[in-house]
Amino acid sequence: MPEGSVQDETTSRRRERVFVRVDGSLLSLCLGSVAVVVAGGLVQVSFGAYSMTILEAWRAVFDPAVVFSGQAWEAFLLGGELPEMGKRSLIVWNIRLPRVFVGALVGMNLAVSGAIFQAVTRNELASPFILGVSSGAGLMILLTLVVFSGLSAFLPLIASIGGAVAFLIVYAIAWKNGTSPVRLVLAGVIVGTVFGSVQTALFFFADDIGVVQSAIAWTTGSLTGTDWEQVRMALPWTAVAMLLGLVSSRQLNVLLLGESTASSLGMSVEKVRFALSGVAVLAAAASIAVAGIVGFVGLIVPHMVRNIVGSDYRKLVIGCVFAGPALMVAADVGARLALNPVQIPVGIVTGLVGGPYFLYLMRKQDNMGEI
Amino acid sequence: MSEQTQISRINGEAPGNSDTDEESAPTGETGGATLDGNDLVLSYPSSDDPVVAGESITARAGAVTALIGPNGSGKSTLLKGLADQLAPDAGSVLVDSRGIQSFEKKELARTLGLLSQESTSPDSITVEDLVYHGRYPHRGFFESVTDEDEQAVDRAIELAGCGHLRDREVGQLSGGQKQLAWIAMVLAQDTDVLLLDEPTTFLDLHHQLEVMEIVETLREESDITVPRSCSRTCSRSTPRST
Repeated sequence: MPEGSVQDETTSRRRERVFVRVDGSLLSLCLGSVAVVVAGGLVQVSFGAYSMTILEAWRAVFDPAVVFSGQAWEAFLLGGELPEMGKRSLIVWNIRLPRVFVGALVGMNLAVSGAIFQAVTRNELASPFILGVSSGAGLMILLTLVVFSGLSAFLPLIASIGGAVAFLIVYAIAWKNGTSPVRLVLAGVIVGTVFGSVQTALFFFADDIGVVQSAIAWTTGSLTGTDWEQVRMALPWTAVAMLLGLVSSRQLNVLLLGESTASSLGMSVEKVRFALSGVAVLAAAASIAVAGIVGFVGLIVPHMVRNIVGSDYRKLVIGCVFAGPALMVAADVGARLALNPVQIPVGIVTGLVGGPYFLYLMRKQDNMGEI
Repeated sequence: MSEQTQISRINGEAPGNSDTDEESAPTGETGGATLDGNDLVLSYPSSDDPVVAGESITARAGAVTALIGPNGSGKSTLLKGLADQLAPDAGSVLVDSRGIQSFEKKELARTLGLLSQESTSPDSITVEDLVYHGRYPHRGFFESVTDEDEQAVDRAIELAGCGHLRDREVGQLSGGQKQLAWIAMVLAQDTDVLLLDEPTTFLDLHHQLEVMEIVETLREESDITVPRSCSRTCSRSTPRST
């Protein structure tokens, strides 16, 4: 055999290893997800209180005066002065589209966060909120709305911090000469129960139905009223978390081999586990800050993706970055338009869609639970 | 060849007894490393009594050392202690006279490999990907696959004789085939000392002999010290293959 072809084969195999085998199922998953996001986005911009025809709305989306305007993007992403634009463009670009973007960011954060937690706990039923993040955030939301209502301007920040602190408490409880997945999950359940009780108790002290509704919107997750400001708030953290999630996919894969194998391969399991959990909490906190506690997305998306591309995290994380936004944006179409003019929290829709789908998966698969 | 095989006994039980398990530790040749465990006392946090109370073991470089003892006598625990997976209450472990605690985690994983009895992996991982995980200690956080990694993986797969399984998913393999894949993974780790805990579990007689041959080939061809443990059936075959 000529030497050149042997070398070619080696290089091509190497390229495969670096870029992940160009995988048909992953590629179609990503393309399909993008299609869903685009379709969902176009539906979202077409309907709303200000009536315009679908064609007008779509023309506004692709309005070159906005799409190619540096000043407009500066205003959107950095919060400067908005340039002059048509009324339709203004409504589409400043009111309807940001909600789609926020939905997409929230979706990818939750999906990747869930995928990481499923590897860290080695349990397919783990979600971004398994280690107490949602209960901590929920408690702080209620505290802020009911007791410290003066601080409600900082609610997103307070909620995220509450989630992160609860995670640290869970970790501290689970720690005894190191942790184990089971102890972490148990500690998460315990902290979740206690915080959940306090949170429910606080509802009794809310004297105003508006406060209760606001609390429900936050604790079930809602994209109502999101704006470019939410995009600006979530984007940097999302970028950091996604990047870290992608580069640590090999660590996640090794973690899946079990603690003892990972450790005998030279991994500092405790450190890696804590660092990866930190990345996942960061992603979850970024989504909480802009949308509240959206359930089910972080549980169901990694599951769907794993069903399609397998459990290799190099593919799984990429798949989650695409499929998360798809589910979230599609669910938000339902949340915003299904009961028009009433908008329901998107978390209710994700639960309604996610629950039956999860049931379907459970019936279809023989062995569920372990990765 | 038999002078290359040492037998260490744990708890002094006679071999050949039907309850007897055997752990054998093959060692590589010159360039391999000598592994010393001195007066090791090992216990698990959950139990009060030590599982291993003051055992010493020496696995010479370039030899196969077999560790034998009945079920529950602490062979696996001893191996865990030797591989720094379990911190000893007392005693020390030395690799070529250097304390095992002074190694960095990855450095140790490049020097000493351990194949434990029970290993789990996701079902959908391919054998090749599993073997590549053996290169973990040789790679930095951002480092991609190098030629060296590829050669080590190819060699490990060839040595373990699981080339025909390379692209199969681990979940679809039989117990014995899985075991071969895991053996390939620790071989890819490319270590001086290899601790195999009952490597012939799940294997039929044919494959048991094959594993013995792998170990023997390693001892002859490369710089590897391989303590391993195996079951009673292979204690019969060990004298033949070594």
